[in-house]
Amino acid sequence: MTDNMEFTPAKELSYTKAVAELEAILRHMQSDECDIDSLTTLTRRASELLLECRKRLTATDEELKSILSSFDVKE
Amino acid sequence: MTTPSETTLSLLQLQQTVQRMVTNHATQNVWVTAELSDVAERGGHCYMELIQKDDDGITTVAKARATIWANNWPRIRTQFMQSTGQRFATGLKVMVRVSVSYHPVYGMTMVISAVNPDYTMGDMLRRRREILMRLHNEGILEMNRSLEFPCPTLRIAVISAPEAAGYGDFMHQLYGNGYNLRFNTKLYPAIMQGEKAASSVIAALDRIASDGDSWDCVVIIRGGGSTSDLSSFENYELASNVAQFPLPIIVGIGHERDITVLDYVACQRVKTPTAAAEFLLNLACEELDRLRTLTSDILRVANECISGAREQLAYFGGQLPVAPVGTIHRAERRLNAATLSLATICPRRIQPLHARIELYGNAITTAVTAAIDRHRSRLETIKQVLDAISPEATLRRGYSITSCRGKIITDPASVHHGDEIVTQFASGTIQSTVR
Repeated sequence: MTDNMEFTPAKELSYTKAVAELEAILRHMQSDECDIDSLTTLTRRASELLLECRKRLTATDEELKSILSSFDVKE
Repeated sequence: MTTPSETTLSLLQLQQTVQRMVTNHATQNVWVTAELSDVAERGGHCYMELIQKDDDGITTVAKARATIWANNWPRIRTQFMQSTGQRFATGLKVMVRVSVSYHPVYGMTMVISAVNPDYTMGDMLRRRREILMRLHNEGILEMNRSLEFPCPTLRIAVISAPEAAGYGDFMHQLYGNGYNLRFNTKLYPAIMQGEKAASSVIAALDRIASDGDSWDCVVIIRGGGSTSDLSSFENYELASNVAQFPLPIIVGIGHERDITVLDYVACQRVKTPTAAAEFLLNLACEELDRLRTLTSDILRVANECISGAREQLAYFGGQLPVAPVGTIHRAERRLNAATLSLATICPRRIQPLHARIELYGNAITTAVTAAIDRHRSRLETIKQVLDAISPEATLRRGYSITSCRGKIITDPASVHHGDEIVTQFASGTIQSTVR
């Protein structure tokens, strides 16, 4: 994992692939193979993926407001 | 133009005539099978329509108002619920004991005094079992149920009546979720009750399917209405469409105990539209939790890696001044040990050599002594020989030696007149003068 640090941009990954990569990073970090040199890179990549995943799951307040305003609830 | 006469009846008179004709032995306490419709409870009484459809199950061929009065209703309701697991509700086939009554103002109504739940149970189950068996035989019964919800499930196609309170409940629950979850919904309107419900829902499903992969799942909801005519959902065509639909379907069309065949074929069954929204919220929240866990796990593991490395460095730092000294100590100890073992090993090796040398020493002494003795005895022999042949011995035997001027005379011619000669004997000498 650390030998080739070329990552696909998080935006281009599917959510499932992003989460799978996150889990792989975690497993790698938990293994004995993880060295300190790659730790920074891995953590940065993980936070990038986490941010992207979270962004896809949740909307900002502004976005929500616009969704709610466009959604005319008929009581 | 007819004018009032003795043959003319007042409305009340006519109604009373009808009442007498209708209310006779043949219409009292009769067991009747019918389908329930528009069941409603008001003031402790239960009002409904009894209907009958023809064999195609679509066209209504008979319909009558019916009532269960409050003195009977609680008992019948409880008994029906316990026996069938269903509310006494619209859409059910029932066997009821009725007495036809006719009121001059309110018209004809059927007063129900008893219900046979077994009939309802049998009919409901039979119809449902037929549909399920057919789906099973076609190998499609489990198809939608075996689908998995994609991850994350955020794009939701909703099939509902646009005006339904249930749809509003669903949307409110979904968007007012407080987790800021990014749901994306679209309403595919459908008629959700009556005879057209099944075909309308199927059409909505077709529209969703033609929108390709825009959606993660489908939610079919209804509810909020006072009546729940679920019988229109007990439909083979609809069940077959739902079962084979490529996206997981959530069905929330009933209330509590109201089960339709769709509840058996849909990927997920919920009781209400609100519950459908809650189900989706839970799915998404589980995903959020997963992210949260991943975040904290990665943070923790990274910290552990760093603190592990730090500890290791600290250990090395501590070892640095101590390690060379330790190495020297260890080398010293090894040297000492080697010395000690040398001290014990050497004598062990030398001792046998010593013994051998000792042996050699003795042997040499013996040999030397023997040699000396040998030589001594030889010398003795030689001495004896020498003694035997020595001048002294010769002298002792009576010989004498004559010398002149120090020279032994062996030839008398060598001596001249007047020479002084010395004659040596064993015991002394005589000096003489030659004449």
